[in-house]
Amino acid sequence: MRKHKLIPLLILIITFVPSILMAQAVEKNSLLLTLKYYNDNNVTHHLMVLAKSKIDGKFQTVPNIPVKFYISSDADKANLIGTGKTDDRGQAVIEIPPSAKSEWLKSPNQNFVVVGEATKKFDEGRGELAITKAKIKVDTAEGRIIQAKIVALVDTTWTPIAGVDVIVGVKRLGGILNANETQTYPTDSSGAVTAEFKRDSLPGDQKGNIILVASVVDNDNYGNLTSELVVPWGTKSVYMTNFDHRSLFARRGHSPLWLELLAYSIVVAVWSVIIFLLVQIKNLKKLGVE
Amino acid sequence: MEKLAENKIIEDLLPQKFGKQGQIWVVCLLAVCALGCYAYCRQLYYGLEVTALRDYASWGIYISNFVFFVAISLVGSLITAVLRLTDVHWSTPLTRIAEIIAVSAISFAGLIIIVDMGRPDRFYNLFTHGRLQSPIIWDVIVITTYLFISLLLLYFPLLPDLKIMIGFKERNGKWLQKLYEFLGSFWKNKPEQFKITDKAINILSVTIIPVAFAIHTVTSWLFATTYRPGWDSTNFGAYFISGAFLVGAGGVLIAMYVFRTHYKLEKYITDDHFDKMSKVVVLLALVYLYFNINEFLVPAFKMKKSEEEHLMGLFTGEFSPIFWFAISASMLVPILILIFKKGRKPKWAFFAGILVVVGSWFKRFLIVTPTLLHPFLPMHDVPKSYTTYIPTWEEWAIAGGSLAGALLVITFFARIFPIIPIHETIIETDSHEKA
Repeated sequence: MRKHKLIPLLILIITFVPSILMAQAVEKNSLLLTLKYYNDNNVTHHLMVLAKSKIDGKFQTVPNIPVKFYISSDADKANLIGTGKTDDRGQAVIEIPPSAKSEWLKSPNQNFVVVGEATKKFDEGRGELAITKAKIKVDTAEGRIIQAKIVALVDTTWTPIAGVDVIVGVKRLGGILNANETQTYPTDSSGAVTAEFKRDSLPGDQKGNIILVASVVDNDNYGNLTSELVVPWGTKSVYMTNFDHRSLFARRGHSPLWLELLAYSIVVAVWSVIIFLLVQIKNLKKLGVE
Repeated sequence: MEKLAENKIIEDLLPQKFGKQGQIWVVCLLAVCALGCYAYCRQLYYGLEVTALRDYASWGIYISNFVFFVAISLVGSLITAVLRLTDVHWSTPLTRIAEIIAVSAISFAGLIIIVDMGRPDRFYNLFTHGRLQSPIIWDVIVITTYLFISLLLLYFPLLPDLKIMIGFKERNGKWLQKLYEFLGSFWKNKPEQFKITDKAINILSVTIIPVAFAIHTVTSWLFATTYRPGWDSTNFGAYFISGAFLVGAGGVLIAMYVFRTHYKLEKYITDDHFDKMSKVVVLLALVYLYFNINEFLVPAFKMKKSEEEHLMGLFTGEFSPIFWFAISASMLVPILILIFKKGRKPKWAFFAGILVVVGSWFKRFLIVTPTLLHPFLPMHDVPKSYTTYIPTWEEWAIAGGSLAGALLVITFFARIFPIIPIHETIIETDSHEKA
């Protein structure tokens, strides 16, 4: 009779436990890795991955995901060029190391792969990027004209590229300021763009230097390319400080003169009275002796 | 006949040895002080970690105690200077009581600030690195000045009494005799000497009033120059001074009753003194109540979003029991007691004085701490202990020790010196009889 009662319970357990376990496995989110390539001033190259996942119906950045970067392919462990972990913004960045040079020089086109390791909450993720090697150079011409030229590697020759959107402007804190009313210029058949610099009295450094920038952003073929050039087209900045000025918020010994005059006058006046009274005690003693 | 009366006054007012009650009182105070010292040693060893002071409530009962001490010290200027300059003679027996309260309170105000610093070895930095623009430096200057002036105001009227006490060599004992001679052997009751002391006392009476106002105004500026809910007020100087006079007068009522009953001074501290002093307390309580209404009603009427949490915390929130107790005990109930003639009798006046002093201590706590716990920017990602302030036993012990220390100074002073000016009482009795 008792055994009879346990049979339905066993059936329930056998039926639902695997589905519960399955449900727990399904709860892991898939990881979306977006890989980007950056050529900085034709000197350094770096890769950045952005990890995202659909959480609560919205794509959100994912921090703390260990990632591995590969050049060409992730099939060969020798192609590993760096590792990292996504930060609070879901990003991880590596510079392409000199050790990857031989692989880099093999072809005018280059593939990169990023692999995100599986964690408790996320599945393993994978992202790929294919670029054509290109470079941009910014220069100036007479009459405050900014010129930029883009060339891409075709077979073994650097060839000008037409029809690429280039941002031309001045590097400022937190972004690029337009050189004039237009922000983006498409390259012509010679791979060049020309922009007139119309920013008068733009504050530069102490020598009046500003940094001109030509940049290609998130191009499907070439990635992100940036070139910078320092020119003395700004106004000289004079370093202003009120560190030595007398004020109520200044440091010790730099209080306003009126405050010093007032405070010291009061202190001197009151303590003169105290000293006068101490002298009176002395006079009392003298009178006592007499 | 005159000589007899004079001898009787001297006999009544000369300092007396501690009786059994006095000894128990002193032992109790010493025990509290010792516990405070032990707690302070722990604080020195372990740092301010032993206190409940954290990032937000960085000023707790130490600073409340400091403000309380500064406040009660103002009574010296009220009784001695204001009443003397306005030619009010009934306060003569109370002047020394008021002055010793002032001296002991201001001394411990200075000490408790050092306790709050956590690192007393850095005290000298206040002088080597202090900024003249900071109200903290003004406070250091004005407290030192006030202490000196109060000591002088205590000392000058004491000189004729020292001469009297030096005459009782056998009664004094060796050490006290030496002390009296050191302090006043040069006093010969010469008219020129009286002329100098009278002039000195008048000068001191005039000087101490602005200094006393400055000391508590500057203390109020420690808060009012900081942009925080509850402190951002142009009313603070007057608000603090009126409160200070009230707590000081309450303290005098207590001291009057204790000295009167313990030393049997009913002939010198009479019912009339209680009556008059009680009326002063009622007046001061009404003035302080007026400033409180200004301080709380006007911001409450506007109820700015940034101040709402602070004000509601006081009116109906976590601090409301202390807030309403402080308002009732320090102002409303004493007014209700002392406004009636029967309430101005010594026992009721003593009770009202206790209410004023205790209520005022909590009022200082409410000025200091709730503001710190309600910053303009909400607290985020902080440990729970940062969001509240419940003083640790070390803080209570140190605060209690400092209060006991101040009482001990007053107690020992009353043991060594006459608590009612002998010479002035004789003079006033003579002139009264002649009139």
